[in-house]
Amino acid sequence: MNVLNKEELIAFEEDIKAVHLTGVIKAPVHFAGGNEDALIEIFKLVSPHDWVFSTHRSHYHALLKGIPREWLKKEILEGRSIGIYNAEYRFFSSAIVGGALPIAVGTAMGARRKQTPEHVWVFGGEMAAETGIFHECAKYAARNRLPITFVVEDNTWSVNTPTRKVWGEIDEEPHIMEYQYVRVYPHQGAGWITFPPSPSKDGAF
Amino acid sequence: MRYKEECGKAMQMLSRDDRVVFIGQTVSYPGSVVYGTMEGIPEEQRIEVPVMEDCQMGISIGLALQGFIPVSIYPRMDFLICAMNQLVNHLDKIALMSCGQYQPKVIVRSLVGATKPMFPGLQHCQDHSEAMRHLLPNMEVFVLADAGHIVSTYEYALKSVKPVLIIEYSELYTFERPA
Repeated sequence: MNVLNKEELIAFEEDIKAVHLTGVIKAPVHFAGGNEDALIEIFKLVSPHDWVFSTHRSHYHALLKGIPREWLKKEILEGRSIGIYNAEYRFFSSAIVGGALPIAVGTAMGARRKQTPEHVWVFGGEMAAETGIFHECAKYAARNRLPITFVVEDNTWSVNTPTRKVWGEIDEEPHIMEYQYVRVYPHQGAGWITFPPSPSKDGAF
Repeated sequence: MRYKEECGKAMQMLSRDDRVVFIGQTVSYPGSVVYGTMEGIPEEQRIEVPVMEDCQMGISIGLALQGFIPVSIYPRMDFLICAMNQLVNHLDKIALMSCGQYQPKVIVRSLVGATKPMFPGLQHCQDHSEAMRHLLPNMEVFVLADAGHIVSTYEYALKSVKPVLIIEYSELYTFERPA
């Protein structure tokens, strides 16, 4: 795989920036920068047959997955920086915060069902990592041993909002009470429709 | 021709395609009318999932990217509302956004809750079929108003390139009162 080095990554974004400043790209461009070293290390673990799920800020991910610079630049010039897709390189993205997470989990589930060796890598910011769906995805994937790794890219900013500040910075455990009990009745009483004897399964009735 | 039996036949027809997996709530455990339509379908083709509607829709899309045809089941349309991000922002638009490189085909199956013989409350019987047509301009939305077109609609969905939403009516599932 023709993987770019740090200087080449930076040069790519500088080139796009120069074009963007001319106003010819009629769409938003989210530039990457400052995370070259970390990403280069992470992508040493990513195989060509692996899947990468990215975000609105996907240029570095795409380049490090091996997508040719020329192809990516063309996509960006045509206004598609915010959603880069390349099926040949198994590259997918979503411009909704956390949007790619469950899709990546399903892709990992599919790999497991087909018993293929591919691994799924899904990227998201630190705000995405605070969302409910991130927790559902990470928990479900772990408890079902799905071949997926979540990479949280923490630059402390959610657009221009300080992520930690808006979540609250007081270090306190949530106040949660819990109790357990054994249920006596079926889930609901809707007369004969739900009460007829049904085959018990795993103790359900 | 009875509605419930036709839905069962449609699920049987889908299950004969080995790319098909049924994913959702009450596909493996009793709890809604859906379970009764899954009779005879092998367990390995069913994926019972936790209550995580949006996540379920995303997982269905991911399975479709891997070549499966998920039948993603939401026993009440009120619950499908919880999956709108993955349905509207993703499933409906991925083929367009990716310029056709990815064409995840998910058959979304949802049911409008019955209001007879019991009224289940405002959160369990909403019919948003028309709204769905507006929200999903790139999908096909079918409403199964009678038993006559159930199997043929699911056959169409199986062959369709586009993702499909099929809406059933629980009220048309009639039950015999046991003697």
